[in-house]
Amino acid sequence: MAGAAQKVEGAAAGHGAEPRGKRSDEGEATYLIAIAEALWEEMERDERVYMLGEDIGGYGGAFKVTEGFIDRFGSDRVMDTPIAEETIVGMSVGSAMEGLRPVAEFQYADFMSSGFDEITTVLSRYHYRAGVPLPVVLRGPSGGGVRASSFHSINPEPWFAYAGGIKIMCPAFPADAKGLLKSAVRDDNPSLFLEHKWLYRRIKEVVPTDPDFLVPIGKAEVKREGTDVSIVTYGAMVHKALEAAESLAAKGVSAEVVDLRTVYPLDEETILRSIEKTSRALVLYESYRFLGIGTEVAAVIAEKAFEHLDAPVVRLAPPNLPVPFSPPLEDAFLPQVADIEAAVDRLAAW
Amino acid sequence: MATQADPAVAQGTRPLPDDALKTLLHDLKLARHFDERMEALYRQGRLPGAFYSGRGQEGTHVGVAAALRPTDSLFPTHRDLTAQLTKGLDLNRVMAQYWGRIDGYLRGRDGNSHIGDWYGNRTFAVMSHLPIAYPVAVGAALAYQRAGDGRVALAICGDGATSNGRWYEAINTSAVHGLPVVWVVNNNQFAYSTPNPLEFKVPTVAERAVAFGIPGIRVDGGDVLAVYEAAREAIERARAGGGPSLIESVSLRWRGHAGHDPAKYMAPELLEEYMTHHDPVKNFEEWLLSEGVLTKDDIDDVQTQVEAEFTAAYDFAQASPFPEPGDALKGGWVEDGYWTGEPGRGGGTESQ
Repeated sequence: MAGAAQKVEGAAAGHGAEPRGKRSDEGEATYLIAIAEALWEEMERDERVYMLGEDIGGYGGAFKVTEGFIDRFGSDRVMDTPIAEETIVGMSVGSAMEGLRPVAEFQYADFMSSGFDEITTVLSRYHYRAGVPLPVVLRGPSGGGVRASSFHSINPEPWFAYAGGIKIMCPAFPADAKGLLKSAVRDDNPSLFLEHKWLYRRIKEVVPTDPDFLVPIGKAEVKREGTDVSIVTYGAMVHKALEAAESLAAKGVSAEVVDLRTVYPLDEETILRSIEKTSRALVLYESYRFLGIGTEVAAVIAEKAFEHLDAPVVRLAPPNLPVPFSPPLEDAFLPQVADIEAAVDRLAAW
Repeated sequence: MATQADPAVAQGTRPLPDDALKTLLHDLKLARHFDERMEALYRQGRLPGAFYSGRGQEGTHVGVAAALRPTDSLFPTHRDLTAQLTKGLDLNRVMAQYWGRIDGYLRGRDGNSHIGDWYGNRTFAVMSHLPIAYPVAVGAALAYQRAGDGRVALAICGDGATSNGRWYEAINTSAVHGLPVVWVVNNNQFAYSTPNPLEFKVPTVAERAVAFGIPGIRVDGGDVLAVYEAAREAIERARAGGGPSLIESVSLRWRGHAGHDPAKYMAPELLEEYMTHHDPVKNFEEWLLSEGVLTKDDIDDVQTQVEAEFTAAYDFAQASPFPEPGDALKGGWVEDGYWTGEPGRGGGTESQ
């Protein structure tokens, strides 16, 4: 599968009208272009799919994911909204109830909290209560590491995983991002698609061009095989884990990296299969340590793989505090490669 | 409702044909009887959960819902269940919901007036966080505009909900895009215990329409025909592409917020004034008599009919089975098939 992170030198701010035309000569797409491709292909495939959000039309979105879309699909299907997140979510729900398939963009995933009630009270509960499917995708850039500070760096997935009823994807690679987003658009349940902004232009790989290329929702994937320790993680932390695993290998420690890809519902089977093999678990996550996604992962391992464990489950995650701005502060706040190596060393020594 | 054929309507002496007027009376009287009986059952400890009385406000509920077509959508609240009955909900299944039975529209998954019937009568299942349905109505209206199918969404909230940010967000967004939606504020003068002057500074809700650039009108909720006419005009404007409107329908909530609330904060003189002069049921009966549309006996017959409907629905609800306990774990995801897989047990809201 996909290898280690690659830096894209001199990547343009925008990608122009047809995202597939913005691949490299080798057919590689950045994480951002892969997401744009997914949206473009699904808009082409199904005219019920439309996008709404702030500045997504002529401006092309805060991160330029939707640049050029309005020229191809028009302002009805690439709809600029007022700054009204509750209404963006509510509109998505109401139009989905009438047969459309909305994909709403949040400029930053942080602002999903401005639509919190419509997400957690309407979107997450309506189908269970009243039997109406809501094929709604909410997408937005999440995560830290880009010096964006407290209000542009959140990992909101635990807020909405707790609500239930919403599938939550946090892909780490371009191909997974593309395939999962296409699956989300085609799914009849609500989805939250979180795009780690640290990855947008930093990661690229060859991404399938088949318009029906899908990655199944709810399936984790082992991104690096190993035998001594399992690092269970997702999002940007997958790349930190792969980097750590590389240098650990040089020291004779074999780390397996499990990329959750979807954090809700959780793929317990793939996690447990890895623990059965390695008997040691490092749960690495960028959402907060207390009641973050890794808390549940650790609980699942403790509850269901107890007899396979040779060491306590170890968690590595930021504290439940705002993401700080100053580079030394943010670097200390987020788990770093050296922290991962140290944690794996401790686990391997058991 | 059809208005063309009736000579009295054509001559402008009556707003609706006689049979439509009689239907309005039926819906008003059913609303009143349902409200009185359900509150009594609640106080007797025979009705589980909660009961939110809409007594005194039936003119608003029935008036706006009667102006909608079956394919138009209604986004109601907990207090205007009567609007959903007028829209077409089956009283049997409404009552089954109150008693947590499988034949309730939501199969026991929600109770009391937190009800809806999207695939049948196009009503949104009520939620508590008002005006939570306002943004959803924007989305439905967006779909109608895009389809160009002439449908309209109508959303109701109370005066209390107008203080919430979503009220502004939703109306503003609908105005910007000229969407086919009608915003109804059922001003019953109290947000739970908080009176209008502690909710907003301006004298009326209707004048706030100016800030959105849309028409606003204030009507007497004690006059069902005035409400109907205001709603009809706003709905037709929306249907014709004229965008949203705001209707403030003024009444008084005669009872407390819910069955447990004696509403001691309400001045007795205010209540007396509204019960005397703004009772939508009594006012409409008097108008029908004075116009010669119905006789006293006709009105008594309607009363007898709604009492029989209530009794039959009560019996239906008591006879309906409870959901299976294991059903609680089903239907978290669409692919579970719960809502599509068991037709014949409740249901009625199966997906397309």
